[in-house]
Amino acid sequence: METLPTKASDHESVAPTPQKKRERGVWKTLVQQKYLYLMSLPFIIWLFVFNYLPVWGWTMAFQNYKPAKSFGEQKWVGLENFIDLFQDERFYLVLRNTLAMSVMGIIAGFVVPIAFAIFLNELRGKFFKRTVQTVSYLPHFVSWVVVGGIVTKMLSIEGGIVNELLLWLGVINEPIQFMAKGEWFWGIVTGADVWKETGWNAIIYLAAIAGIDKEMYEAARVDGAGRFRQMWSITLPSIRTTISVLLIMSIGHLIGIGFEKQFQLQNSLVTDYSEVLDLYALNYGIGISRFSYGTAISIFTSVISIFLLLTANGVMKKLTKESIM
Amino acid sequence: MKWRNPKTLATLLLATTLLIGGCSGNNNKPENTGNTGNTGTNSGNEEAADTSPVTFTFFGADASPNWNNMQDDVGKYITEKTGVTIEAEYDVGAGGGENKLALMAASGDVPDFIFAKGSLSSLVDAGLIIDLAPLIEEHAPNIKKIFSENMNRLKYSNEDQAIYQIVTNGGVDQQYFDAGGGFEIQQRVLKELGYPEVRTVEDFENVLREYVKLHPETDGQPTIPLTLNADDWRIMISVTNPAFLATGAPDDGEYYVNPETYEAMLHYKRPEEKEYFRWLNKMYNEGLLDKDTFVQKDDQYKAKIASGRVLGLIDQEWGYQDAENALKTAGKDEYTYAHFPVTLTEEYQDKSFQPAGVDGYGIAITTEAKDPVRLIKFLDWLASDEGQVLRNWGIEGKHYTVDANGQRVIPAEIQDRKVNDASNFQKETGIGQYRIFSAHYGDGVKDSTGNYYTTNFPEQIVAGYTEAEKETLAAYNATTWKDLFPSEADLPAKDWGALYNMPVPTDGDYQVTFQKTQDIIRKRIPEAVLTKPENFDKVYDDFLAELDKAGAKEMEAEYTELVKARVALFTGKEVK
Repeated sequence: METLPTKASDHESVAPTPQKKRERGVWKTLVQQKYLYLMSLPFIIWLFVFNYLPVWGWTMAFQNYKPAKSFGEQKWVGLENFIDLFQDERFYLVLRNTLAMSVMGIIAGFVVPIAFAIFLNELRGKFFKRTVQTVSYLPHFVSWVVVGGIVTKMLSIEGGIVNELLLWLGVINEPIQFMAKGEWFWGIVTGADVWKETGWNAIIYLAAIAGIDKEMYEAARVDGAGRFRQMWSITLPSIRTTISVLLIMSIGHLIGIGFEKQFQLQNSLVTDYSEVLDLYALNYGIGISRFSYGTAISIFTSVISIFLLLTANGVMKKLTKESIM
Repeated sequence: MKWRNPKTLATLLLATTLLIGGCSGNNNKPENTGNTGNTGTNSGNEEAADTSPVTFTFFGADASPNWNNMQDDVGKYITEKTGVTIEAEYDVGAGGGENKLALMAASGDVPDFIFAKGSLSSLVDAGLIIDLAPLIEEHAPNIKKIFSENMNRLKYSNEDQAIYQIVTNGGVDQQYFDAGGGFEIQQRVLKELGYPEVRTVEDFENVLREYVKLHPETDGQPTIPLTLNADDWRIMISVTNPAFLATGAPDDGEYYVNPETYEAMLHYKRPEEKEYFRWLNKMYNEGLLDKDTFVQKDDQYKAKIASGRVLGLIDQEWGYQDAENALKTAGKDEYTYAHFPVTLTEEYQDKSFQPAGVDGYGIAITTEAKDPVRLIKFLDWLASDEGQVLRNWGIEGKHYTVDANGQRVIPAEIQDRKVNDASNFQKETGIGQYRIFSAHYGDGVKDSTGNYYTTNFPEQIVAGYTEAEKETLAAYNATTWKDLFPSEADLPAKDWGALYNMPVPTDGDYQVTFQKTQDIIRKRIPEAVLTKPENFDKVYDDFLAELDKAGAKEMEAEYTELVKARVALFTGKEVK
């Protein structure tokens, strides 16, 4: 943090380029567009201060960091924190949980909202459509603390609606303790997530669908396409760009899924399935004042995220010629 | 004209960013933390109390749902007298504050003063807590008076003899008049079964079994014979701590300390405790222990109790107080709980009341406090006789009166609200709300007027019982629940104090191993309770082996050393 002034001055001094002519060209555009540059400057500084300067904190991962000491007094430990991390069995367990839940989340989080948006779009009654849409995205504004309570209550063996329903239908003979079954935890989290976010995620697809040229549908109808044919051959391809951009971005977030849901829904019986990376970082990192260890975990997540993002981007570029970079 | 606007805009934006940059630059500089006690010397001579308005920020690691931003009677009075307003934030949910405090330690973003409970050492290690010793010496005669010969016990450790916190969660020289722990059974159950003897877990179990057979439903819903609270850290209070209490060991947190050799070990390793968990396992398999026990959250647990259909509990009263208050408010006195010192078999003695001496969680002042002298003076005022009486009794003429003999008396209608409408009463009056803010004497200590400092003295405690409670107590020939428990007079004070409060190293492997063992315990104990009876031995033995594999042995050895050092610090004994 102390390096703020020096870093800022580095930033201002632009290295001179050897080619005189080119330089004059660059300089000329710079002068010409000085107001544009000036206007963008605050945002560049903002980005630098809030997104690049904190990277300096990564040095903590190579120290035995103690908050009370200044930078010079910290003890350097090299890669010790990373070695500890990769040697901990628990780390692989939480990595598995994180990946499992985020992959399930991505699949459900794409298929369901897209299907929902397409079907909602086919509805005729405007009032009904609006109402359904509003109702469906309301859960997005409910915090996970509350959702956690609702889900636990719904799945409870005592008066929980799910068990009552299953009993009434005769599917089961006695109530199932859903929250005590570790292997079901991933599914419960994904289900809760779908319930909470489907409506919200569908908004962007609905907006994309609204932008599709109506003439295409008319032409398709003239050619004899039914409604499902229209959905498949016109609506879906038209929102493909939106889908792939969102997909690339969410793959970038694959490993950093946060921990609110898991934290709210877990209990001591399912920790082997519920603990995710961020929760692990909290419990074994800052929770017990191991700031350096926590930082090492965060470096690991960042590196993997960048790698995933670039890979997804590259693959998409190859397959569909669409990319975000 | 065309260019004028963007130009101003750009300049403005630039100016703004520079400003922001400048500010953040300042913030990043770690404040010099040297101004601990020395600032006191200048302001020491101005004796007239400063009552100009000032606001102190505070964080409490326990949830405090009745906190009313000092808009209660006591709070208003405090502000009027001292000029101080406390801007408090409390932990939410099950409380404990560990997460919030860990973030504070990491960011250095702390309020002026803190009730940090077990997380104090992480704040101390982060250099965020100031040494109170010089401040107390200079500005806090009342606090000094309260602790007097116990000042040694406020010291942090043998190596670092600074005073980082003023113990406030326990009263000094406390005599216990009432018991809030043990095993609990509803009054209605005892009444209907003719007040049977409840001494061992077997008695406890029989009472519950018999009653649930008679009344499988309560108000149209299934009766729950026994439920426990296993949400997060509450699992220790309601599930694991009772294991040592029921087998004759005192509360030393996760450890058991051998009183002769001071050797510490995780208490789960005591063979007696295995039998306790075997009993829980049996309760579960017989359907007497609620199936939701390890799944339910704190609020669900309380909701169940408030519905009145839970016959038995194993918890501390503060853990289900809110729910019991709801029952009292609803006039369902017979659904409240009686306390029994239940043990595994008759050979054990409940050691709930074994005194730890002065030791406990307390109030700490941070390096962020702008005016530590003013703050310590405020805390000292709270610790004065006037402050203590205010915090415990409320305001004279409003919440209590003084009769012709100089005795403080609580009027009947106030007492009635206090018992039967406890939450609202606390919210409105603030009585009991300011207990943890400063040092105080415990129950049974009298002030200069010959009155008790607290409202918990035998007569008042009995006055605080509901009719149903009194009925039960009379049936057991007791006046208070405490009478049923072994008295502290028969139990020697522990040389090592309250171990849950002993600072442990935040560096090295200790914390990691401890965290690992905790994870194992919180996973395996529920598993052992829920498994089939024939599997119990295997699950429990595997659990113990797993603890050792995670490094429990080395951790225990390290802890033993700390215990020995603490005994030396507290008692001056030579411990090898």
